[in-house]
Amino acid sequence: MKNLVSRRSFLQGAMAVSAGALAACVAPAAPESDMGDEGAAMEPVHLRWDTFRGIGSGWNEERIETFTEMHSDVTIELRPLAGSGQQDNYAKMYAAQAAGDLGEVVAFDPSHYHFWRAINKDIIMPIDELVAADATDLDQWFEHFLGLQYYQGQLYGFPSWGWAGFDTLVLNAVHLEEAGMDVPDPTARDVSIDTINEWAHSFYVEGERFGLNISHNEATVVVLTRLFGSSLINEEGTQCLLLDDPNATEAMRWAYDLGVVDQVLPAPGDIENAGGALVAGLLTMNWCGSLCVRNFNNQIEDESVAKAWQILFPAREDGRFPSQLRGGTWNLRTNQDHADVAYQFLRHISSHDGSLSFNLVAGNFAMVRPDVVQSLIEEDAIHEWFISSLENGIPAHAPANSRGREYTSAVQQWTDLLLDPHQPVEFEQGLQDLNDNIQAVLDLEPA
Amino acid sequence: MATLANRLRLSSFSEMLNTSRQRRENFYGYLFLLPWLLGFLGLFLGPGLFSLYLSFTKYDVLSPPTWIGLDNYTKMFFDDPLFYTSLGRTFYYAGVGVPLGVIGSMFLAILLNAKLRGLAAYRTLFFMPSLVPIVASVVLWKWLLHADFGIINQWLVDLGWSDPPGWFGDRRWAIPSLIVMGLWQGLGGTRMIIFLAGLQGIPESLYEAASIDGATALHKLRHVTLPLLTPTIFFNMVLGVIGGLQVFTAAFVATEGGPGFATTFYSLHLYRHAFDYWNMGYAATLAWLFAFVIVSLTIWQLRLSRRWVFYYGS
Repeated sequence: MKNLVSRRSFLQGAMAVSAGALAACVAPAAPESDMGDEGAAMEPVHLRWDTFRGIGSGWNEERIETFTEMHSDVTIELRPLAGSGQQDNYAKMYAAQAAGDLGEVVAFDPSHYHFWRAINKDIIMPIDELVAADATDLDQWFEHFLGLQYYQGQLYGFPSWGWAGFDTLVLNAVHLEEAGMDVPDPTARDVSIDTINEWAHSFYVEGERFGLNISHNEATVVVLTRLFGSSLINEEGTQCLLLDDPNATEAMRWAYDLGVVDQVLPAPGDIENAGGALVAGLLTMNWCGSLCVRNFNNQIEDESVAKAWQILFPAREDGRFPSQLRGGTWNLRTNQDHADVAYQFLRHISSHDGSLSFNLVAGNFAMVRPDVVQSLIEEDAIHEWFISSLENGIPAHAPANSRGREYTSAVQQWTDLLLDPHQPVEFEQGLQDLNDNIQAVLDLEPA
Repeated sequence: MATLANRLRLSSFSEMLNTSRQRRENFYGYLFLLPWLLGFLGLFLGPGLFSLYLSFTKYDVLSPPTWIGLDNYTKMFFDDPLFYTSLGRTFYYAGVGVPLGVIGSMFLAILLNAKLRGLAAYRTLFFMPSLVPIVASVVLWKWLLHADFGIINQWLVDLGWSDPPGWFGDRRWAIPSLIVMGLWQGLGGTRMIIFLAGLQGIPESLYEAASIDGATALHKLRHVTLPLLTPTIFFNMVLGVIGGLQVFTAAFVATEGGPGFATTFYSLHLYRHAFDYWNMGYAATLAWLFAFVIVSLTIWQLRLSRRWVFYYGS
């Protein structure tokens, strides 16, 4: 009689147990929507808020507390997303959605290129009906930032953060004062491209200081091309303009001459922390955004080394200010039981108080509401510097195929190659490669 | 006859006892193996086979996989320029970094195996960099190797190198920068400990015999230490090559694959397709090709080892 457990039968058993365990791990199917179920909000409601924004600052907890004080039948569970970077957190949210475990209140930011994908994949829901039922006044947000929340005529969220992109040169005024020069009016837009070029040279001291830093990320390259009256890709997000529009070509030539021919710009990777370099007096002008000016101002410890100032780029021929209006969002997940309640929470976090504390407590840059801008100016007059770009800026153009990550990666890496002073390439070849690789991304099938 | 009958009865009784004991032992053996087996099947073999299936599909996590046959493989070989360049950079990193690391660790271990005062303190000091988290290490080395303000370039200029490397910011020097950083962190780490263990396993009598024969320290190193360390060298080489080919974190944190793709290693390329671009099917294809490369290299190393690895007493 052979009562031994054979290896084969044991492995078969183990595999069956494993399969059972794996099956048990599969999340239950997402519940069917019953938004129309009257009285749903009368029952105790539990919402889950998945976010990486504001985590650790106390802002999220304050928002939950003030909301649940008003709605005692609602509990909200904050589920912090703590990926190593913002993009990691989107990965976690996609995985949670695939597992049927995504929270009811989420954020798939347009300016991180996830908004349209989340809509196409039916992750977030339109809120037009909820807006109508609540008679929400949509004029409380700047038109640009609310505009980012629309897709194919439907509204999918309310603005969270928002700014004018890399619309300014953050300036260390100490260097100008040391050179016996007057600092420019921070809002006058009267410093020409030629003057910027001249200062990039004159403030550069080899081995000690850079006059100008231009990072090679998409945010900078887009505004660089806009400064010269063009853009990086067309409004539809289908075509790269670097070769087709002479103004875009001229913009890249301007940067190439500074970085490769004259070699007065930091090479890729030379300045890892431009903000720190400004504070330490190692950099005179940093191409950045208005948020950077505020942060620079807050970080300065010794005003004899650094003093925060800014240069806004001159207006273009069409009257628009070189910028890239970018912003985030707060969304509701599709297929949820109490969308009406979640919608009220959405309003709560994007209200004046929510948005103001999102700036002041959570440390985000959310100039998305005129009333918040006023409150911020009362808090710190430096915020007044940023208004003109918000009012007359140029919206971001996103790839039509939702290939935002491929797009930003292609821009960054191929601009590195074009502007590399160590192993220079011919301008025409570098520009052709940059253009072709961006276009290759725009030509990919939709994500 | 009676004796034979008794013997047969006893034999049968003993067999029954053995069978019963063996069965019990088997049961407990498998029971103790079960957690590992479950993990192996559920977390390794299952996902591994699933990823093999995914490599023939288009899959973005949010939609069901769509079967596309060999399209991902065709794309990888014929339509993805970063496939070859990232593979080449990975081989460059491993090809330079691993031999330097293994040889460096071995000589460090030989030095730290000497009978000196304060040896434990030295060993601790050399081991400490391996305890530094990779992110902290990156921050430190980005400052040390800063092209314009870094202390190392200041020294190089003082030594007369008028145009020192751009290190992380220079495509030619970005991988050497990562290798230098890796050596600082890895030379005195676990690899050195393994070498120390190997050194201490060499019988003292062999050195004594060599001394009697008039061998110098160099002779002993050449004819006693190195031959008897070959199993340890081989072990460290195999692990080093596997680890070197999987280089990811340092490049991900320090350079994000730049400048201009200069540090876009294979694993980083794969990661981007999987978790940035959501081309999970294609990422699975890249992963399987890489697994094939690593396994092939390891088998090749195993075969090659017959020619140069010497096992004492075998």
